[in-house]
Amino acid sequence: MSRAVTPAAPTGAGWFLGVPALRRAVVRILILAFGAFLLLPIWTLLLWAVTQRWLYPGLLPQEFGLRWWQWVFTNADVGKAAYWSFTTAPTVTLLSAVVCLPAAYAFARFDFPLKRLFYVSLLASNAFPKLGLYIAIAALFFRLNLIGTFWGVVFVQLVNSLVTMVWIPAAAFAAVPRELEEAARDVGASPLRVFFSVTLPVALPGIIVALILTFLGSLDEAQATLIIGTPEITTLPVQMYSLVSSYPEPVGAVFSVLLAAPSVILLLLARRYLLSGYLAAGFKGG
Amino acid sequence: MLPPLLVLTLLVLWPAVDALRFSLGLVPAGNVNYTTGLDLIRSDHPTLAVFGKLFANAAFARDLRLTLFVSVTATLLLSALAYALALYGRFHRGRSTELVRTLYLLPMFIPTIIAAYALTTFYGDNGLFEAMLARVSIGYTSPIRQAWGIVLGQVWVGIPFAVLMLSSGLDGIPEEQIDAARDQGAPFWTILTRLVLPLNVVPLLIVLTFSFIGIFGSFTVPYLLGPTAPNMLGVSMQLNFGSFRQPQLAVALAVFSFAVCAVVGYLYVAATLRQNRRAA
Repeated sequence: MSRAVTPAAPTGAGWFLGVPALRRAVVRILILAFGAFLLLPIWTLLLWAVTQRWLYPGLLPQEFGLRWWQWVFTNADVGKAAYWSFTTAPTVTLLSAVVCLPAAYAFARFDFPLKRLFYVSLLASNAFPKLGLYIAIAALFFRLNLIGTFWGVVFVQLVNSLVTMVWIPAAAFAAVPRELEEAARDVGASPLRVFFSVTLPVALPGIIVALILTFLGSLDEAQATLIIGTPEITTLPVQMYSLVSSYPEPVGAVFSVLLAAPSVILLLLARRYLLSGYLAAGFKGG
Repeated sequence: MLPPLLVLTLLVLWPAVDALRFSLGLVPAGNVNYTTGLDLIRSDHPTLAVFGKLFANAAFARDLRLTLFVSVTATLLLSALAYALALYGRFHRGRSTELVRTLYLLPMFIPTIIAAYALTTFYGDNGLFEAMLARVSIGYTSPIRQAWGIVLGQVWVGIPFAVLMLSSGLDGIPEEQIDAARDQGAPFWTILTRLVLPLNVVPLLIVLTFSFIGIFGSFTVPYLLGPTAPNMLGVSMQLNFGSFRQPQLAVALAVFSFAVCAVVGYLYVAATLRQNRRAA
């Protein structure tokens, strides 16, 4: 991002809007509308999570309370779902890192026949309508006795992480200046040492972004788990499907807050990395 | 190199080929899930009978119309909104830029199913939005459980990817080029259509194709926000596979969506290659 070097815009609203204050007001209103569009549904959900009674047309709940939290926390199904969510998501992330990171490095540093084809064929896995693919995989997993198993759920989610875990780290590895590595070699460092003391640390932000996205993707994933995991393995998002249709509003809301909490915490921790362009860099290809 | 390709072969290629064969009437003997389904069409040689039956079905035609309407509308709206946001992030300087950048990342961290649920509680019948409008005496018909409800949901959840993608393209445009055009007195619209857009075609195409494919095959958003009938193809697939015990129909639907998305994907690749050649 080369934003810092540009001269200051002539007006506060930016040159591209023209000058009039009217346009500035329009832009403000549009931003406000966009903010409302994004935030108000979440706000509603947060309110529902602390509501005992909320009748239309009240703008706020008539009665606040945490009764439903107790219900959610003491519900055995929810506990089980939480257990499956927080065992599958880290497993998927780790396995995907083991499978993909060496390949990402190879893509960034070596030339080999059919490299471009392999690179693009990874895209193909994401260019499928996912649900169709899951159904096709389910049929295969039936034969391999992986339906309703922990590993079945982990494997099917691996498909989703391929692109993220190869492309983004590959772009990050490719961005490590060769001169740095060569300088380290010149002073006598072994190739392994160069990788761990120079290449890896420089590429780390990109790898962290990929790890976070994979983890969140797995935590968020409901469709594949619904098809492959049922009935034994139901993660939190899968549990959500039945909760929203058959329980009062606060239950779904409390559940949503619990499920979204890890993501929001990661957002706060990783905002800097996510904004720094690694995500998009991955898509440009190496 | 090998491990990801192995995953790709085992979890994408093999199931896809398997699904294609099954949809052509070749029922595999060893697959309990396939052989116990209802309304099976069995054949010793590939036949299009399953697809014939599918296309003759009035429900399929309605589902397809809804799916195409939602995919096209949501993709266009999403791209327009995302482009506006990306332009704002690129060209506006000020405190609000940071705010907007944080805002548009937000949906990335809200699991889709929660987003869909949040949207129903806010925009649904007797929801907070209706209550707010009632205060200022504005009538309201909820889009939730309608086609537009799905569009709304798809735009909401699609924003982070689309904006990040488009922003990266915009960030790559050299400041000097824009300054040069500006110095010669070019108005914003000229700079946008003559300079920025042409340099930003590939990211825009990625957003358009990926959004279309993602929405076309989506399940969660249309399942929670869409009408009970007709269904989008993704929902119909899941219902046929799970509830109706008609795996062959579900798999044929899957193969059909693969084909549609392959055409869209091909258009993307062709357009990208042409763009690259022109740039070279």
